[in-house]
Amino acid sequence: MVSSSLSDKRYIYIHESGSEASRGVIDIHHVIIKGSRATSCLKGLAFFLVGLAIIIYYLPGKDNPGRTLSWSCLLSGFFVMIQSRKFVKKESVIIMPTFGIQLETQYLSGKTVSRFIPIGKILKPVLVECVTPVTCYWSLSLFLRGEEQLTLVFKELRPSMKMLVPIWKALCGVIGTDQSEMITEEHVVSG
Amino acid sequence: MEAEPKIRVLMVSDFFFPNFGGVENHIYYLSQCLLKLGHKVVVMTHAYGNRTGVRYMTGGLKVYYVPWRPFVMQTTFPTVYATLPIVRTILKRERITVVHGHQAFSTLCHEALMHARTMGYRVVFTDHSLYGFADVGSIHMNKVLQFSLADIDQAICVSHTSKENTVLRSGLPQAKVYMIPNAVDTAMFKPASVRPSADHVITIVVISRLVYRKGADLLVEVIPQVCRLHPNVRFVVGGDGPKHVRLEEMREKHSLQDRVEMLGAVPHSRVRSVLVTGHIFLNSSLTEAFCIAILEAASCGLLTVSTRVGGVPEVLPDDMVVLAEPDPDDMVRAIQKAISILPSINPEEMHNRMKKLYSWQDVAKRTEIVYDRALKCSNRSLLERLSRFLSCGAWAGKVFCMVMIIDYLLWRLLQLLQPDDDIEEAPDINFINDKK
Repeated sequence: MVSSSLSDKRYIYIHESGSEASRGVIDIHHVIIKGSRATSCLKGLAFFLVGLAIIIYYLPGKDNPGRTLSWSCLLSGFFVMIQSRKFVKKESVIIMPTFGIQLETQYLSGKTVSRFIPIGKILKPVLVECVTPVTCYWSLSLFLRGEEQLTLVFKELRPSMKMLVPIWKALCGVIGTDQSEMITEEHVVSG
Repeated sequence: MEAEPKIRVLMVSDFFFPNFGGVENHIYYLSQCLLKLGHKVVVMTHAYGNRTGVRYMTGGLKVYYVPWRPFVMQTTFPTVYATLPIVRTILKRERITVVHGHQAFSTLCHEALMHARTMGYRVVFTDHSLYGFADVGSIHMNKVLQFSLADIDQAICVSHTSKENTVLRSGLPQAKVYMIPNAVDTAMFKPASVRPSADHVITIVVISRLVYRKGADLLVEVIPQVCRLHPNVRFVVGGDGPKHVRLEEMREKHSLQDRVEMLGAVPHSRVRSVLVTGHIFLNSSLTEAFCIAILEAASCGLLTVSTRVGGVPEVLPDDMVVLAEPDPDDMVRAIQKAISILPSINPEEMHNRMKKLYSWQDVAKRTEIVYDRALKCSNRSLLERLSRFLSCGAWAGKVFCMVMIIDYLLWRLLQLLQPDDDIEEAPDINFINDKK
C-alpha cells in the first residue's frame, strides 16, 4: 500500500508500508528516476548509429573514409548500448524490522543488484554532505560494524533532502537510534 | 528558537587549518567572534590531504574542504572558471549574503570573489601582506590584484602601511579601504606566574620561520655580536626553515652551542611556553604588514626588539618595543638598549595593557561595520562593472572585460543546466554548548 509519495524534477519517491498501527511490517522506499523518454532516446540513438554504420559501409564510391566512418559509427553504437546497461531505473530500500535492510538497484536493462545488511551490523544511519570539485549534495549513508568506509544507501541516484529524511527516520526507528541524540537543534529550511 | 542570523558570511582562502599561520589564525578567530555576535559564518578552502568534504569546528563553524589539489605554496591551481559551479552551489546552499576573501596570494580567493561579483553578491577582501612593485612576480601579482579588486565593495587592511601598499598596488579608492588590525588571544598568551630572574642570565627568544623574508640572515650577524658584548645573554631560537643551516654554522663557528639553543619547529600550542622562558623577544623580519608574533610576545610580558619595517611601528606602544633599522649594528644597539631598560618592565602590567588594546571581539565588531557598509552598496549592472575594468590598463582592461563577460555567460549557462531552485538549501545546525 502506497502511504506517501513525493516528486521533484528528477526523481519520484514512493513509500510503501502497512498500516500505521501495526509494527513489524516491512517498509519499502523507492526512488525512481524520471525521464523514461531520455532513456528510450538513448536506445534509439544506439540503433541509429549501428544502422548508419551498415549503410555507410555498403555505400558505393570511395572506400577508405566511408569504411572508417562506418566502423566508428558501429563502435559508438555498441558503446552507447553497453553504457545504457549502467543506467539506473530505480533504487529501493526494503526495511525488515529486527531482521535487516535490503538495498536494491534496478537498471534499465532489467538487471537488479541487491545487498542485504543484517540489523546487527548497522551502527547508525547518517545524512552526510558530499563535496565534489563541482558540487555538493546530501546523501544517506550507513555506519557498519567492521567497515571503515561508509556504505551509501543510494549508490547511483542523488535524491533530495525531503526524500532522504523520511527514509533516514525510518532507518533510525528500526535500529532504535533516538533521533534527538543525533542533532541538538535543527532549523529546517523549507523550499 | 534561534533568531535568524543577521549576516551570512563566506570566508574564502587557500589558507586555513590544518595549515598553520597568521592568515589561518585570523580567519578562525574572526569567524568565532562573528559567530558569537550572532552571524552565520562558513569557510571555504581547498582540501588538505585526506581532509576533504564538510567539517564542523568549534561553535558550529562550517568548513568546506573542496577537493581541489593545491599546486604551489598551498594555493589552488588557477583555472579561472572551473571553481564557478562549486562556488555557486555553496553560495546558494548556505544562503550567503557577503563573501569575504583573504590574502592576495590565494588563487581560490580571487576566483571566488570574481564569481561572487558576477552572481551579484557583496564582496569584501582582506589583504594580509605587503608586496613589492619592481620584480616580475610582483608586477603580475599586482595586475591580478587590480583585476580582483576593481569591482569589490570594500577592502580591509591590517595596518596603515598595508593600506597604502594595497591602494598603490591595486588602484582602489582610499575611501573603500578600511584599516582593522589583527589581534591576539590574550587569554592564551599570559605571562608566567613566576617571571624568570633577569639577574644572572637574560634570555632572548626568537620564534619565526627561518627564511630570508623573516631576516634569518640578520640573526646570523647579530647573535655572535650580542653574545660577545654581553656574556650573560643567551638565545632561544624556535622555528625551522632553509636558513636553519646557516644558524647551525654560526653556532659552530663562534662556539655558541651552550649560549644559543635551537628548538626546531615549535607548534603554535607550545609557543607560549617557549615565550615565557624569555625576557626579550627579537623579531628581525625584512618585511611585515602587521606581525602578530610581537603581539604574542608583548602579551606574555616580553620586551620586544624589532626591525622598523612595514606595519611594525604601528603595532605596539613605544615603551613596549625598541625599533631598529634592518642592519646588524643598529639591531645590536637596540638589543643593548632593551637590556638596559629591562628592569623597568612589568610583565603583568604589559599583559593587562595588551588586553585593552587588542581583542578579537573588537576586530569582529569593526568587521561587522564593514559588512554593513558593503551590504548597503548598490547592485551594479554588468555594463557598469565592465567600465571599471577598462580603466585597469590598455590591454589588461580589455582582457579583464573579456574574462568577466565569459564568466557571466558561463554563469547563465549553469543556471540553465542547473536552475537555482535545484540547489537545496542546507539547514542551519545550531550547536548547544552545554550537554543535556
